[in-house]
Amino acid sequence: MFKLVAFGLGLLAPAWAQDGFSATYDNTRQVKLKGPITRIDWVNPHAYVFVNVMDANKTIANWAVQIGNPLDLERGGWKRSTVKIGDVVSVDGYPARGDALQAFAKSVVLARTGAKVFTMAATKRTAAPAAAPAPRWPDGQIRLGPPPGKKGYWGAASANALVERTSGAPIPMNSEGLLTNISDADRVAPMQPWAKAIYEYRQRRLLQDDPFTRCLPPGGPRQFQTPHGFQFVEQRELGRILVLLGGGDRNWRVIYTDGRPAGQGDDAVLTYYGTSVGKWEKDTLVVDVTGFNERFWFANGGLPHTEALHLTERFSRPDLNTLKYEVTVDDPRTYTRPWTGGWNIQWVPDQDIQEYFCEENAETTFVR
Amino acid sequence: MRSVELRQLFLGAALVYLAVAIGFAQQGHPLTGTWSGDWGATPAQRNQVTLVLSWDGKQVSGIMNPGPDSVQLSSVYLDPTTWTVRIEADAKDGSGKPAHISAEGRLDDISSYHRKLSGTWKQGTTNGDFKLTRD
Repeated sequence: MFKLVAFGLGLLAPAWAQDGFSATYDNTRQVKLKGPITRIDWVNPHAYVFVNVMDANKTIANWAVQIGNPLDLERGGWKRSTVKIGDVVSVDGYPARGDALQAFAKSVVLARTGAKVFTMAATKRTAAPAAAPAPRWPDGQIRLGPPPGKKGYWGAASANALVERTSGAPIPMNSEGLLTNISDADRVAPMQPWAKAIYEYRQRRLLQDDPFTRCLPPGGPRQFQTPHGFQFVEQRELGRILVLLGGGDRNWRVIYTDGRPAGQGDDAVLTYYGTSVGKWEKDTLVVDVTGFNERFWFANGGLPHTEALHLTERFSRPDLNTLKYEVTVDDPRTYTRPWTGGWNIQWVPDQDIQEYFCEENAETTFVR
Repeated sequence: MRSVELRQLFLGAALVYLAVAIGFAQQGHPLTGTWSGDWGATPAQRNQVTLVLSWDGKQVSGIMNPGPDSVQLSSVYLDPTTWTVRIEADAKDGSGKPAHISAEGRLDDISSYHRKLSGTWKQGTTNGDFKLTRD
């Protein structure tokens, strides 16, 4: 039901989260609530049940209990009708930071039956489908999308954040890229002093300033680590590849493969996804990306960048189920040298990306 | 106005606020941009100041009061461990005599697009303070 990635003590965050879990909830505290459900908010990005809770003074307070993303909940067996308004439930969860009457449920138990209708538990990643060769076009070039006549999309990434690829031990962090030890910042990337200070500032603020959690586009490598996956649509006759993103606001990016030169004019508008020009080097698509604005975080965890950011992305598909993503980051205004990181992404066969919009229930998420 | 309409109005206003807040998160180098404010020896005696700063990867450069009377900043230094900023420039006073500017301040509200920079400002023989906000 929930994908949890735990590193170290007390650093748990739902792997699907786009709302800034660590900034919103305090997972070092617990809250237990009991009362009747007064409302069910079953929409993206986060489903809520609202519970009237009576305290020792007989005063009733209405709590908003977040139970996760409805698409993930449906995959886990929860249905819209699993609980009804008026059902009395017991909730065990993490309270919100501050005074808000809001909690993130670890479990929800239906009082009349004692049945645990919801449990936040670690879920094994879906087993990879049977190995098969990477699909190819008639001319032998690798296909980045589904095999002919099939469905599917790219899903979970094998890493939580972009870090420089070294031979050192993995850097402990949660699924949002929040470091277990801030002293590991030096191991993440070769940052200039100002960039390291900004990175640590963002980390200490538990990533609460992240533009992505306010639904701005996930430009750069981050688009391949968001919840709900992505898809390539190769329009070979048009000389371009569309990258359709299932997370964020379901927007898209264009990679031109029509032979145009890399880069863009100095006066071009700077954008969230930049200007992407790709070419195939044997079985690897190499994409040169420039022209980024500075209004987003290009990786989980708050790595900074400037308008000088230049990415070189390398996509390869060694088999049907695996996409290898590697990116070289070159931003001399932010980093002391170019550096490289990457991860693998797993194919989700026979399914389509489901509808997901970042702020569909903004009323509950933000206005409360 | 009915309560439903009031609620919709409130929601709309909140979303507008969110949309504004979205664009106001700090990105890039924290000094890059245009800063407006004033300096002066007393609260009543203020002089408007505009700084335009940019970062090339090695140093911050900039000008003060862009236009025909602009002044090139001779040095701008940021200490990211304390978020303190030192600015030096050679300007002229009201009578046209050289007046060295030496300002030292601190960045505040760093996560905001409209972050603040304030501190002490010495121009010629006059000591005062300054307050700038990133536009």
